[in-house]
Amino acid sequence: MAVLPLAYLAVRSFERGGGVVWDVLARTRTAELALRSLSLALAVTASCLVLGVLGAWLVVRSDLVGRRVFGVLLVLPLAVPSYVAGFTWISVVPDLTGFAGAFVVLTLVSYPYVLLPVAAALRTADPAVEEVARSLGRTSRQVFFSVTLRQIRPAALAGGLLVALYVLSDFGAVSLMRYEAFTLGIYTSYRASFDRTPAAVLGVVLVVLAIALTVGERRARGVVAHRGRRQPLTVPLGRARVPALAGAAVLVLLTLGVPVISLVWWLVEGTSTSSAADVLATTGNTVAVSALGALLTLLLALPVGILAARHQGRLARGVELASFAGHALPGITVGLALVFFGIRFAPALYQTMPMLAFAYAVLFLPLAVGAVRTGVAHAPPVLEDVSRSLGLGRLRTGLRVTVPLATPGILAGTALVFLTCAKELPATLLLRPTGVDTLATELWTRTEVGAYAAAAPYAAVLLVVAAIPALVLDRFSGGER
Amino acid sequence: MSGLAVKRLVAGYGGEPVLREVDFEVPEGGLLAVLGPSGCGKTTLLRVLAGFHPASSGEVWLGGRQLTADVPPEQRGIGIVPQEGALFPHLSVAGNVGFGLRRGERDDRVEELLDLVGLAGFGARMPAQLSGGQAQRVALARALAPRPGVVLLDEPFSALDAGLREELRADVRATLRAAGATALLVTHDQEEALSIADHVVVLRDGAVAQFARPQTIYASPADLGVALFVGDAVTFRGVARSGLVATPLGELRTSGDGPGTVLLRPEQLVLGTAGVPSTVDDVLFHGHDATVLLRLADGAQVRARVQGRISVRPGDSVAVSVDGPALFFGDTA
Amino acid sequence: MRHRARTVTLVAALLASTLSACSSANDLIIYSGRNEQLVGGLLDQLEDAVGIDVQVRYGGSGEMAAQLLEEGQGTEADLFFSQDAGALGAVGAQGRLAELPADVLGMVPENYRARDKRWVATSARARVIAYDPRVVQESELPKTVEEVVDPKWKGKIGYAPTNGSWQAFVTSVRVLKGEDFAKDWLKKFAANEPKRFDNNNSILKAVDDGQLPFGLINHYYWYAMVAEKGGQAGVKARLHRVGNGDPLALVNVAGVGIIQGTNQSEAAQKAVRFLLSEKAQRHFADVTAEYPANPDVKPGKHQLPPITDLQAPDLDLSKLSSLQETLKLLQEAGLS
Repeated sequence: MAVLPLAYLAVRSFERGGGVVWDVLARTRTAELALRSLSLALAVTASCLVLGVLGAWLVVRSDLVGRRVFGVLLVLPLAVPSYVAGFTWISVVPDLTGFAGAFVVLTLVSYPYVLLPVAAALRTADPAVEEVARSLGRTSRQVFFSVTLRQIRPAALAGGLLVALYVLSDFGAVSLMRYEAFTLGIYTSYRASFDRTPAAVLGVVLVVLAIALTVGERRARGVVAHRGRRQPLTVPLGRARVPALAGAAVLVLLTLGVPVISLVWWLVEGTSTSSAADVLATTGNTVAVSALGALLTLLLALPVGILAARHQGRLARGVELASFAGHALPGITVGLALVFFGIRFAPALYQTMPMLAFAYAVLFLPLAVGAVRTGVAHAPPVLEDVSRSLGLGRLRTGLRVTVPLATPGILAGTALVFLTCAKELPATLLLRPTGVDTLATELWTRTEVGAYAAAAPYAAVLLVVAAIPALVLDRFSGGER
Repeated sequence: MSGLAVKRLVAGYGGEPVLREVDFEVPEGGLLAVLGPSGCGKTTLLRVLAGFHPASSGEVWLGGRQLTADVPPEQRGIGIVPQEGALFPHLSVAGNVGFGLRRGERDDRVEELLDLVGLAGFGARMPAQLSGGQAQRVALARALAPRPGVVLLDEPFSALDAGLREELRADVRATLRAAGATALLVTHDQEEALSIADHVVVLRDGAVAQFARPQTIYASPADLGVALFVGDAVTFRGVARSGLVATPLGELRTSGDGPGTVLLRPEQLVLGTAGVPSTVDDVLFHGHDATVLLRLADGAQVRARVQGRISVRPGDSVAVSVDGPALFFGDTA
Repeated sequence: MRHRARTVTLVAALLASTLSACSSANDLIIYSGRNEQLVGGLLDQLEDAVGIDVQVRYGGSGEMAAQLLEEGQGTEADLFFSQDAGALGAVGAQGRLAELPADVLGMVPENYRARDKRWVATSARARVIAYDPRVVQESELPKTVEEVVDPKWKGKIGYAPTNGSWQAFVTSVRVLKGEDFAKDWLKKFAANEPKRFDNNNSILKAVDDGQLPFGLINHYYWYAMVAEKGGQAGVKARLHRVGNGDPLALVNVAGVGIIQGTNQSEAAQKAVRFLLSEKAQRHFADVTAEYPANPDVKPGKHQLPPITDLQAPDLDLSKLSSLQETLKLLQEAGLS
C-alpha cells in the first residue's frame, strides 16, 4: 500500500523516457535544492531533539510547576499547520526569512514529534537503572546524560526521523519563509510549469533521501530498554526551577502565543466574517475524516510496527522502509498518486472520505508505525511467550498482550496521526468529496485571499480539536498506574 | 498418559549445538529439576520444550503425544513460569490467572487456583501491588490454570530473598503436588534442585551429566564434576588399593582402584578427640550449623560442617576424623 | 469484546456518513482553481442559469490541472475554472479540454481566448505601479522596464518576491526581451536595493502610509482598498498604468474550459455563457475589481478602464509556464 506513491512516481518519471529523468537530475539546481532541504532537515531535527527531549523530561520527570498543563500545551503546536505558523511569524517578525525563518518555524511546529515519544518512553523507562547510577555517585544531571538519554535514545531518534521527513516534505513554511527547498521545485513544477515529470523525478529523489535518513536512524537506534515496574522518580529542579519554568513558558509563547495573538489580531482588525454554522459543520467533517484516517492508519501500522519491533528480518525492514518513504513526499505527490490509482482501480471510492482516509494512512503511516514500534519494544517479549504457552495464538496474543502493553505508544501515535490529518491540506484538496470542507481547506480558502478575520475561527477551532487528543493522551498516561 | 519424555534432543543457534543429545523423563505428577551452571543450555531447553525455538533433532513427548517442531507454543499444553513471574502488568491478578481459560470456567477456576497458591481474595489487585513472592505464586497459578501437561519453571526463586525462597519453594512443591501437575524446574542452585525435585538432571555443556534422584546425585555423583557441582567437597589426590586410600586425614574406606581423586563431604569430617591433629583457622557460623576451616599438619586447608553447639574457636587445636566411606574418582586414561 | 463492537459500529457509521456525500453523475461538476471567497456567490447563481444541480470543487489552479490530467478520461469534472491561463493551457495541450463554440469565443477580444479555442478568459488583472503622489509625480514614473532600474530609484521601489504575479512578470520579461536582457535587468534591479514585501497588499499599504514612493502590484488591490475605505478620498496611493506593450503592463487572465468528453456539455456551455454574461462579468468588475473579459460589459462601481485599452504586451498567456528558469534567475540575482 505504501508502495503506491512510489509506483506512481516511477510511472510519471519514466513516461517520457530516461533522458528527461537524467536531465532533471543533472540540473545543478536539483543537487543544490536537495542539499538545501537536507541541511534544513538536519538543523531542524537537531533543535527538535534538544527541545523535545528537554520538554519531555520537564513534563514527565521534573517537579516543574504546572507540568500537567505544560504537558498539554507543549504538544499543541502539532495542530498548527506549518503554513499558518509561517504566516503568523512573518506578520510578527517580517525580517525572519530564509534559512533562519524556515528553521524557526519548522522547529516550533515539529518538536512535539520528538516530545511525544520521548515522554512515553520516560514514563515507562525502568527507574532502577537511574537509581543505580545515582547510588554510584553520579549527580542527577550526570544521570540524565549518561543513563536517561540512553534509555530514551530509540524514542528520540524515532521522533527525530519523523521531524526530518516532515521537513523534507514541507512546503507551506519554506515557501512562506522564502527558503528555496526541494519541495519548491516540486510545487513549481505543478503550479507554474504544469509538468508532472520533473515533479515526479524530484519526488523520487526525496524518497531516496528519506530512505537514507530512515536507514541512518535504524543504525543509530540501539536497543530499547524494557519498561520498569514502578513510577519513575521525580527530579527536583532546585535552583533551575525558575529558568526551567521560564523556558517552558517561552516555548509555549513562541509556539502557541504567536499564532494565537495573530488570530486575535485578525479577528479585531478584519471585517470579513464566518458563520458559526459553517464552522461547526466543517469541524464535524474534520473530526470524522481525521478519526477515520487515524483509525485506518493505526490498523495498518499495528502489524508493521509489531513486525518491526519483534523481527529483524529483511521483510520487516522492507515494509517499514516503504512506509517511511511515503512520509517524505509532499502531500500533493501522494495525493496525485492516489488520484492516479483511485480513478483507475477504485472509481467507486474516488473522492470519498474512505479514499481520503486512505491517503492520510499512506502519508502518515510512519507516525503510527514509529509509535507502535517503540511501544511494542517496551513490552517484554517474555509476556508474549507466556501468553502463547497459555494457549493463545499469535494473533490473539498480539491483541490481548502486545497491543495493550504498547497502548501508551499506540495512543500517542494515533493522536499524532489524528492531529496531522486535521491540518493536512494538499491531499485533502485533491481527494475530499466534492463540496466537503475541512478546517484546513477553509483556512486555506480564506487566508489565500487575505480574509484573515474569517479564517481566524477555523484556525482557533483547529487548535481546540487538536487539544482534545492531547488532553486525552495526557490523562491516559498520567493515570496509567 | 505418561508425563514428559525427551529423547536425544539436539538444538542450537547455527554453529555448535547448545543441547547435545539430551535424554530424560518426568513421570506424570513428577517434579524434575534441571541443574546446571549458567550457559549450560537450561534456557534453550525450556524454549525448545515450550515451542519457542526449534530442535535440530530428537523428540519431545508429552502425555503420549509427540511435540514436533510444527506444534506451536499455544497448542503444546505446556505452561511456563518465567523468572520474576512476568505477570501481565495491564491485567489484575484474576485477569492474569484467568488469561488462558475459557470464559465459562474462568471465575471458578481462578478462585480455585488463587486458593491453591494461598492468595484467595487477591483477584482484584494489580501486579504492581504484589510482593515478589506473591507475584511468583500468581505466575504459578496462571500457568497451572489451563491444566497443562507440564509446567516449566525458569529459575522461579532466584530474585527472592533467602527466607522467602525457602518458604516459597515448599509452597510451590505442595501446590504442584496438590494440582497433580507434572513440572520441570531449571535452576543453577544445587540446594534448590536437590530439595525440591523428585529427580534431577545435571546439565553440563548441553549434555546430561547425570539423571537420578537427588539423594543418588549427592551420594553417588556420576563423576567428579557433578560431585563438585552438587555440594561442598573436601578433595585429596590419592591411590586406591583394595578398598582403601591414604589421605592427610588418614587411611579411608573407599571403592575403586588406582590413582584418582578422593572426595569427602564437609559433614563427614568429625571434630573430637580421635583422629589426625589440626588447627582451627576460622569458624563460619550459619545458624543451623557452622563451617569450620581446619589447617592440617601438611598445610592443607579442609572444611568441616558441624551441627549443634560449636565449642571450637580460631587457633584451637582439634582432632579430626572421617565418618563413612569416601567417594573415589579414578583418573581416566 | 464490547469495545470492539463499539469500534466497528463507529467505523461503519463513519463510512456510511461519508459515502452518502458522494456526488451524482447528473450534476454539473466544476473544478474551480479560483477561490471560493471570490467566486462562491457567483457560482451559486450559476445553478439557476444552467438548470441542473451544480457542484463545485475548490483547489489551487496548478494542483487542479495536475489532478485533471491524472484523472484523464475517468474524471467527473465537466468544467475547469482557472485562476490563470497557464493551467488551462496545460490541460488543453493534453487534449483534455473541448473546443468552445465560435459564438462563445467571440464574446471576448482575440487575445483573451486560446488560439486552439479550448479556453476563454473570464476576467483579467493587470500589473500596475502604485505610487505616492505626495512624493513622486506620475509623469516622472517609469514607463518601461528599463526605466525601473534607473539608479535614481535606488531604495524607492517595493516588490513581493514570493508573489506569483511578480514571478509571472519576470517570466514575461524573459520571454519578451530575452534571457540575457532579463539577467542583466535583474542584476540592475537588485543593485537598486528594492524593498521586499510579503505580498501586494503590504506594498500598497506602505505606499499609502507614505513609507514607500512606489511599488509593483496587481491593480485590484488598490480597488479593494478604495472599497474598504469607502472611496478614493480615503486612499493616498494612486495607480500608474504603463501601456505600449511593455512587460510592466502584463495582463494575466482567469478563464474557463469545458472538459473533453463531458456528458453535460450542454449545461457546461450554458455555464460558460453565464460566466461571460452581463451578470457574471459585473460580479468580476464590481466584487473582485477585475477587468471584465467581455468588452460589452462596462465596469460600473470601480470605473476601470475598458480591457481593450490596456495595451498589454503581446504574449501567449498559456505559455507563461517556464517558472523554473525564472526562479533560477531570481536566485542568481539574490532576489528570491
